[in-house]
Amino acid sequence: MDIDVERKNETLIAQVTGRVDSANAREFEQALSSAIGDDRKVILDLGNLSYISSSGLRVLLLVAKALRNKGAEFALCSLSDPIREIFEISGFDKIIPIYGSLMEVMGE
Amino acid sequence: MNVKRSLRFASDLRELERIQSVIKELEKEADWPPDLVYQVNLALEELVVNVIHYGHRGDPNHEIAIDLNWEAEKLTIEIVDDAPAFNPLKDNPEPDLTSKLENRPIGGLGIYLVHHLMDEIQYRREQGRNHLTLIKRREQ
Repeated sequence: MDIDVERKNETLIAQVTGRVDSANAREFEQALSSAIGDDRKVILDLGNLSYISSSGLRVLLLVAKALRNKGAEFALCSLSDPIREIFEISGFDKIIPIYGSLMEVMGE
Repeated sequence: MNVKRSLRFASDLRELERIQSVIKELEKEADWPPDLVYQVNLALEELVVNVIHYGHRGDPNHEIAIDLNWEAEKLTIEIVDDAPAFNPLKDNPEPDLTSKLENRPIGGLGIYLVHHLMDEIQYRREQGRNHLTLIKRREQ
């Protein structure tokens, strides 16, 4: 699992590549929390995420809650079909905004 | 075509990679579609991690057995462990899927996901072991 971070138009965009499972969920959590600073808007681009299990969902929920507490915006984009299905079954699509593409969420 | 695989491994998170490589072999050999590969990976990870964390409480001196049987109409997976009795069909609380973000509890989704992704789940306790059978029917 790799995370590439860039800042554009006062938005932090983190692109997640590879798999997030029980073996590396803690590493994923640490990488995300060190990448996210005082950003007011955070987007996770999951287009290159090949797999996520409930341990990864747990981390995303923690991040979503922390950002909400700070009054920051949080969104996900570019989920593959099987990953979108996992988000829907978990009811996460109702609490975290999910967009089709990075362009869509950036309003370009 | 009938393809079978058996795995015996220590109750340790580091063994998850072996499960992944067996699924990769089956994907190639039996030409599994990507969504099935994902669902089997997820079901096995969630259930095995549950046994490692809660069943064996992190003690790696236990064995977990997985048998996969890919047949004409269905995939059958059996997971056997010697942890205290745990029936995921009964003993797992329903997760909260409707609360607002602020109130949504963290965790408790793993077994719920398995229920949704598999077509059938059966549990039995036999000779001091948990036997969990998962069935995924093949799309015709």
